[in-house]
This record gives sequence, C-alpha cells and structure tokens, in this order.
Amino acid sequence: MIFDVNHKTLYRYSQPVVQSQHLTHMAPRALPRQSVRHHSLIVEPAPALRLDTLDAFGNGVVTLEIEVPHRELILHARSTIETYPPAEIDMGGGLPWDRLDEVLGPGGRAASDLDTIQYRCESRFTTANQDIADYARLSLPPGRSVLAAAMDLTTRIFRDFTFDGSATDISTPITQVLRQRRGVCQDFAHLALACLRTRRIPARYVSGYILTHPAPGQIKLNGADASHAWISVWSPDFGWVDFDPTNGVAAHEEHITVAFGRDYNDVAPISGVLLGGGEHSVSVSVDVAPVQ
Amino acid sequence: MTPAAKSSIDPVPDFLRTYRDRLHGGYDELVDPHGAIRPHWKRFLAELQEIPEPERLARAARLDRRVRETGIAHDIFADPSKPAQRWQLDLAPVIFSSAEWRFLERALTQRARLFDAALSDLYSDQRLMHEGLIPPELVFSDSTYLRPCQNIGARIGQLQFYAADLARGADGNWRVIDSHTETLAGTGFALANRVVHTHIAGDIFKRCNSVRLADYFQRLQGALTAVSGRDNARIALLTPGAHHPDYFSHAYIARYLGYLLVEGRDLVTKGNGIYLKTLEGLKDIDLIVRCVDGRVIDPLELDPGGFEGPAGLLRVYRKAPNLVTNAIGSGIVQNRGLGDWLPGLARTLLGENLLLPDAPRRWLGVGANRDFVLANLDAFVIRKTQEGTGRPGQAALGSDPGTLTAAERTLLEAEIGLHGATLVAEEKIGFSTAPALHADGLAPRPFAVRFFVARTADGYIAMPGGLAMTVNPDHAVALSAPDGHTRDVWIVSDDEQAPHISLWRSTFESARIERTQRLIQSRVADDLFWLGRYSERADWTMRVMRSALRRFAEDNGPATGRRAAQKCLELLLGHRDHEQPVINPGPFEIEGLLASLIKGGKSPRTLERTCRGLHRVAHLTRDRLSLEAWQTLSKFGAGDSWGQSLQTASPNTLLDLLDEGLGSLSAFNGLMHENMTRNFGWSFLDMGRRLERAYNLSEAILTLFVPRPGEEEEQSSLLLLLELADSFITYRSRYRLDPVFPLVLDLLLLDETNPRSLAFQLAALSRHMESLPDPTAGRSLPEARRILLALLTSIRLADVEGMALQANGERLADLMHEQLRLLPEFSSAVSRHYFNLIDETPHRVQTRSAPRP
Repeated sequence: MIFDVNHKTLYRYSQPVVQSQHLTHMAPRALPRQSVRHHSLIVEPAPALRLDTLDAFGNGVVTLEIEVPHRELILHARSTIETYPPAEIDMGGGLPWDRLDEVLGPGGRAASDLDTIQYRCESRFTTANQDIADYARLSLPPGRSVLAAAMDLTTRIFRDFTFDGSATDISTPITQVLRQRRGVCQDFAHLALACLRTRRIPARYVSGYILTHPAPGQIKLNGADASHAWISVWSPDFGWVDFDPTNGVAAHEEHITVAFGRDYNDVAPISGVLLGGGEHSVSVSVDVAPVQ
Repeated sequence: MTPAAKSSIDPVPDFLRTYRDRLHGGYDELVDPHGAIRPHWKRFLAELQEIPEPERLARAARLDRRVRETGIAHDIFADPSKPAQRWQLDLAPVIFSSAEWRFLERALTQRARLFDAALSDLYSDQRLMHEGLIPPELVFSDSTYLRPCQNIGARIGQLQFYAADLARGADGNWRVIDSHTETLAGTGFALANRVVHTHIAGDIFKRCNSVRLADYFQRLQGALTAVSGRDNARIALLTPGAHHPDYFSHAYIARYLGYLLVEGRDLVTKGNGIYLKTLEGLKDIDLIVRCVDGRVIDPLELDPGGFEGPAGLLRVYRKAPNLVTNAIGSGIVQNRGLGDWLPGLARTLLGENLLLPDAPRRWLGVGANRDFVLANLDAFVIRKTQEGTGRPGQAALGSDPGTLTAAERTLLEAEIGLHGATLVAEEKIGFSTAPALHADGLAPRPFAVRFFVARTADGYIAMPGGLAMTVNPDHAVALSAPDGHTRDVWIVSDDEQAPHISLWRSTFESARIERTQRLIQSRVADDLFWLGRYSERADWTMRVMRSALRRFAEDNGPATGRRAAQKCLELLLGHRDHEQPVINPGPFEIEGLLASLIKGGKSPRTLERTCRGLHRVAHLTRDRLSLEAWQTLSKFGAGDSWGQSLQTASPNTLLDLLDEGLGSLSAFNGLMHENMTRNFGWSFLDMGRRLERAYNLSEAILTLFVPRPGEEEEQSSLLLLLELADSFITYRSRYRLDPVFPLVLDLLLLDETNPRSLAFQLAALSRHMESLPDPTAGRSLPEARRILLALLTSIRLADVEGMALQANGERLADLMHEQLRLLPEFSSAVSRHYFNLIDETPHRVQTRSAPRP
C-alpha cells in the first residue's frame, strides 16, 4: 500500500525562546517491508543550523538550532511511503526462546551480531522488576518458539491492559503501568520489551504511524491519526518481526516504520532543549492517507 | 625525650614499642615477616625519633587545623542531617621503596594503555566484542557506554586520566579494587594532602629523599596545552558544581593548574562552536577537562535529565574530538565486571602479560557465575558494575549477604536473577597494614591507596605519590574510608631529588605576561557580588551586636543607649522595618534579642544565616580566593568551633567572640583589598560590599532618627551610629565635640572622603559601573547607572543643616526612604544586566502522542 503522511507539530511558548536546539526522528527509514518515496521536513522559524545525519541505529536524524527569539515553532514532516505485506510466517516454528544462547552466546553463529545482541539488554525505559518478570513468565514456557512467545505476550497485553491517554506520562515507569494496567502505546511497547529482555530475547522499540479506521458509519477526521509505537522481535529463523501490543496483532501493511532503537529515548520524534520559553503547549496533528 | 633516653641503647623507639604486638599476621608495610623494619622506612623512623613527643603531637594538631582551613574536610553542601564528611591526614605517610614504585609505575601505566586501546576499539570497529574478548552484553548493559559517541575518534586517544584503587593482599601482591576512567577521580585531594602535609612535615619529607609531585603536574600541564592545540589556550575544567562531593578536588586542581573552573550552565553551543558566557560576552574554549560523567554531559543527545554540560556538546565534539578529555564515554572500561577479561585483552591489544590483576570478582552477566554465586552467596559481596564519580573514600560497600535478613536476601537473589549484567560478586580480600600515628605511638592500620596516571607526550606517567585511606577490613572490598582517615604516599628515591618547583609559581619559560582581564564567568561575578554583600552584612551584624552588648554590660550607662541598640537589633531580627517602625514589639530585652540573632529566628538577617551564606558563597568562589583569604573565612562554616562557642557563650565571652569574628572579616577584607587584581571580579565583590553598607547605613539612620527622638536619646543614637559606622575617631579628631546631629549626618551621609559614608559608597559604585563592559555600547545610559546617578545626586544635594532644624524629620525620612527603595532596584538591574547573559536554566521538551485505539 502507498500512504501520504502529514505530521505537523506546533509549539506555543508563553515567553520568547532565546535559543532552541532540537533533535528529530521523523524521516521514515527504508526497510525490506517498506520503501520511502518522498520525505521533507519544514521548520519555522528557519533554523540557523540544520544537520541531516544517521544516528547510531541507522535512523535518519535531523539536528536543528534556532537562534531567533520565537514564541511559536512549527515542524511539518511529509512523507510518502510504500509498504508491502509481511511474509507469511509459521510463528510456532523456529528456535525456542530458551535456546537463543546457542546462537547468540559465545561460540554461536550469531555471536558477533552486535546489532542484534544490544537489544537483549535492558535500557532506561525498560528496566524490569520481579513483577514484570513474573508477568513475562506466563508467555515463556520452556521450548516455545521466540515468535510464538512474542505473539502470546502481545495478545495478553492487549487483553489485560486498557488504553488510557490520561493514565501515564513520559516519566511513568513501566512497573507502575503494570500495576495500574493502563497506558498508551509507548507504555505497552516498553512493557513488552522489558518482559522479553528479562529472558534476554532481542527486542527493539519501533516508532512510526498506523492507519486508523473510523468507527462504522463515521467519517474519518483530518488530523485524527497519531504517531504510534510497537516492538520488533528477533528470531534466528525469520529475522526481525514486528508486533503491536496496543492492538494485539503482528504488524501488517498499515504499520509505517519511522525509526527503531532500544526504547523511546533513542527515537523520540522531537526532543529539544530550550533557553527561555516559560510554559509551553504543543499540538500535534497526523494524517495517514492511503493513496488510491 | 630526655637526652638520657635518647642515648639509651634500646633500638626500638618509644613510638614503636607496641607496633609488633598489634599486627594480625597479614602483610605489613613497615615490618617484614621476621619482625625487622623494612629498609625504606628506616630514615623516616629516625627522623620521627628526632622529634620530641610533645612536638610530634603539636605537629599532628597543626596538621588537623590546616586540613580544616584548606577546606579538604568541608563539605558544606552535604545533607545537613548527616554528619559532616570527615577528613583527617595522618602525620605518618605510607612509604614505598623506589623498586616497588618502578613496578607499580609500569603496572599502572600498562593498565592505562590497555584501557585506552580498549576504548578506541569499543567506540570504533568493536573488534573486541566481535571476537568475544569483551562480552558484548557487559558493554550494552552499562549505561556509561554511550551509543551516540560511536566513531568519534579522538586523535589524542580516549584516555587522558586514569586512576586505580589498589590493595595489597596477605600474599604481598597488589590487586586493583577499582579503576577510574571517567574523570580525574580526586587528584586534587591527593595534591592538597601533599601541600598541607609538606607545610607541617616538609623537613622530614626532604630528608627522606622523597619524590616531589610538581614534575608530574608540570608534564601534565604541558600535555594538556599540546592537546588544546595552542600555547595561550583557554582550558576549562568542567565540574558538576559545588554540590558535588568531589568539588573540592576540582576547584583545587583547576587553581593549581591555572585553568578556569566552569559548570554546564556557563557554556553554550552555537553552530559548531562552544562558548563560555562571560561578562564580556561569549568566549571560545579550547579544551574541556571533563570532571562530569559522560552520560549527563549533553541533555540533547545523551541523558535527557543531564544538564551538567551544555546542550549540543556532542554535535560540537564530533567536529572537534580533541575538545573534551577524557573522551566522552570513557567510563565503560572501568566496569568492574571486566576483570576476568583483562589478561586476554592485554595479550591481544598490547602483546604483554597483565602486570596487575583486578581483585577476584565475577561478573554476574554470565549464567555459570550467577549459578555459582547464588549457590555460595555468603562467600561474596555483591556490588554494582558501575558507580558514579564521587569523593574518594566514599565508595559504596555493596550488599554483604551474610548481614542481610531473610527478606533482603530473597530480594538480592531476585536482583541477581534480573539484573545480573550490572552486578559483580566480589570475594573479600585482605588489606595490608601501614603505621598510623596515635597518641601512644604508631599502630598498624589497614589501607587501600589510589594512584593517578596521566598521558603526556612521552606516554603515560604515574604520579609518584597517591592517596592512601584507612579502610575497615571487615566489610570493605572498596576504597571506603568510614572515618576519613587519609595518609600521604611517599616514594623514597635512591637518586638525588630535583630542586623544589611548584606550579603555584610558573617557571620563566611557561610564564607569560598577561595584563588583560582574566576571563570571568557571569555566574562567578554573581557569586563574588554576593560574597561582598554577605561579608559586609556579617560585619554590620556583629558590630550591632557588639555595641548592644557593651550597652547591656554597662548597667550604669544611659537607658537611652540601650534603647537605641535595641532598635537596631529588632531591625535585624525583622521585629520592625523601616516602613513600619514596630511590627512585633517583642518582650525581649537586649539579652534575648542577641540570643535570637545567634540561634537564628525567622529573619534572613540573623548572624547564623549570614555566616552560612558567607561561607557558602566563599565556597562557590573558592577558586578565586587566595588560600589565606579562604582560611580567614573558614570559621564561619557550620562545623567550626567559633560558631558553636557563640551558641553557649556568656556575655563576656560573646564580646570576645564577636571581636574575633570582626577581626577575621577585616583580615579577609584586607587580604582581598591588597591581593585581588583589580579586574571585573574585584568590581563585583566591592560593589556587593558597598551596596550592602549603603543599605544598612540608610536603614539605621532612618530607624534611629525618624521620628526624631528626645534630646538624650538622640545623643545616644548618634554615639551608636558613629560606633556602628566605625567613624567615632574620625568625628572626634575633626570636631572635639560631643556628637551633634548635623555634623554626624555630614560625616556619614555627605563626606565623600569618609570610606564609611553613604556618599562614598555610592561614588565607589559609580566608579565600578563605569569600568564594567557595557554591551549596549553607550547607546543609552544603562538602567543600573541611571539609578545610581539618582541616588548619588540626591545625597550630594542634601541639606543636612536644614534637616537638623526640621523637628518632624520629614526631609531626612524622604531622603532615606528613597535610598532604601532605589538600592534594591539598582541591585536587580545589575543582576539583570550582567548575570543573566543568556537567561534562565535550559530545560528539555519532548512530545508524546499516541493513536486512539
């Protein structure tokens, strides 16, 4: 499928911002599952410095520095992406999760695959405690294949948790998310990662977009979509396979990947450090439109 | 010691008589297994024997005092509910022979080379992890490994500074108990210990033919100049700030090497450059010596909560990798789990055998280690693989399973299962002992020692000395000194020593004539301004107290004198102010008022608060003060005996204590006046003082003379005012009259030759303002100068004779009210103009959004 994505972010500040520096992860990356036909990022006021580079995970990152005092900042990213249906996979087949060390451990055939091994380890937003390990254990009986375990966990999180945009914020730890059984896609992705990493299953955080469908009989509103987050899990037999705990499914053609990393902190769409500015408000509008 | 005792044939000196009995059978540095004194200690013992016991004790006491005055022991930002961190320096050093030192030197520099090479690999092609020579999960689980620093290859190498904590086991072999590859790791403490120790025992040091440190620091200085790329480099030591436990060390070393001491908020990045915010605008920086953890050095690309460096630093650093040293991210190789892999790394990277192994410990990221440790938990102490940088001797002890409750033990076991990759299990190791000086002579005490290594043009060199600390062998596996007992480390040389050099005085080649104003950060100017204000406030408060006390003590003096003094005390206590003559007519007599001023009521101007404030800003500006100036202020710190005596003093001793406090302040002012270069820093210090003095004087005049008191009280008030303003003698020599209202007012308000008059303060403020850089370049008169002009003009035009004739004192009141209104406005205009060059603290924003389900 081909999608046009319009991602517009508007910041308003109560005081003038004297200097601001931003890091953005808004350019979708090329993957076997998708190709990027077009991408642009427009910034107002015009930055004094703009650097387009790749980060340590291979994601496109734009560094911006704005030197003119401003009370409003607009970042407008537009992308056209073509996605392909994922290959049919027999999730029950493949190596069991408890034999991953044979492949990734010392002497294994993927022992030097550092890009994969780094995702076995905990990161700031995916630090587990015993409760999380206990929650994970139910999906990880001995001998179950890596992907079957990930699918089971994805389904359980979808079933056990309620989507609630007001229950958490950026700083809410996943241990609390687990206790209150509420959160948003980032929380569910972090929780799933933490669960898998307690048993050192390579899993990474994916930031992107998803096509949303209006309820039956309603019209889709402009700007009603949003950025989305899910996870990707590594199996020695099938490579990286994406799962969406928020929707309880394996990712499909309507998932558009922007960037991936160890957790949200590696791939936050926009982060910035400001001098001045006082209070700020932000409004984000995202449209994901299939191109006919 | 009597001559008879000296000529005694007993070969064992008094102070060693019980030493052997106290040995526990481990390795002792002084006495060999056969009970003989090791040769490299003999000279020192002979020297010690030469010193009679009373002098020995006196020297030890002087050493204590010097440690306190230098500020090594102070940690005023520590949590006040915790006891102050102690620091004691023993008169007895730990001594190593030059043969031993040659080995240690080789072993320490080998480790520095090893870690440097390992870092270069970890941040470039990662061959070591690919080949399994370093376990990848050890690296990826460590938050000091910074992914964004990948492929930033510093031409100069990764590691400029390395430090290692060593302990010698019962077998006589050294082991490394901790490595420090992040920052300078407390070099300043070792240096300060040596400087202080040399003051007291320099004669012994010299006669023992011990190796000096200055050469090491000189070569280090040369190396950093070379790294910075130019001769007149602007080099800055980046510190987390005065709250950090290692701050003393940062300030001390910066001062010794002549570098700027900066904090994250002093720096700003723009484009591909990094700049220092100064009074004169933004200035380039050539080299940053990093004393903050890499993880928190750039809130934009690294830890979003880490504001200890400027946002965007990594962007600049990528373009100029020699800008920061140690390289950002260098902390990864100090990971305690690496020990098992070091011998292999030494063979692969250096083609050498590892000379100095780590203490025996197991990384719990390995399944087999985890299983073994869980099965034999009591044999180990569990510690984290990484610990933040802190004050030497404050290393965390870890969990000793033997001491845990059943519940805590279960938690620890779960923790090992969950986060094994960030934990190590350590076997307890023995510590060797070395003599410490007690009242009854030398006694063996267990110790560990930190050694320091730096890179120079000729490769790594080790500092011929170190920081030895007494540890508790029962539960320590780390450099943890619970009682802060430290010892200097001497290397006694077989060779002749080079003449004494010190970096406090540059040698001719390295010195350069530099008369331009030394750079001053906006933040430092702010602190100096407050140093001036607090020192003057303390001076004024103590003068008021002293005058009140004198009047209280003279029972036969006029009651009006006591009343006048009481008004001034109430003013300081906030029981009255100049707007509202009496807010809270307390039942207090002078004695009670003095007690609340000392013990501290709610008023921000009590003596206690003022002294704390003074000591705090003095600490913040530590690197701008001379050692002597700092010492004169050390008595105002929280732990000092002066402050404690105040609390319990009787009126008579209180008078003595106040005299002593005022003496210290005038010594401080004198030292600053005589010794501080007249740069912008001086201007701000002096402006703070002048502003405070002008305010206090105006307030006292208003309180004492408006409304005009009766004749007898007016007389007493005039006497008091002359005393407070230290102008009694001037008045008497000029008029030979009892105080008369218009004459006193003329002397204290208008006379611009009297350094205590209001006009003098305002004129001095004017001169300072004119000398300061003006970013508006004269387009219009800056606000602060406008206010000052108004203040000075109204005083110069004042008609004191007319005021004296006016019975209701209205004109005097108006004049003083205007001063009291405009002086604070002037103060805030100055801070707006100079201290907030780029305003506010930076903060971080992140967006978060989520699709509706």
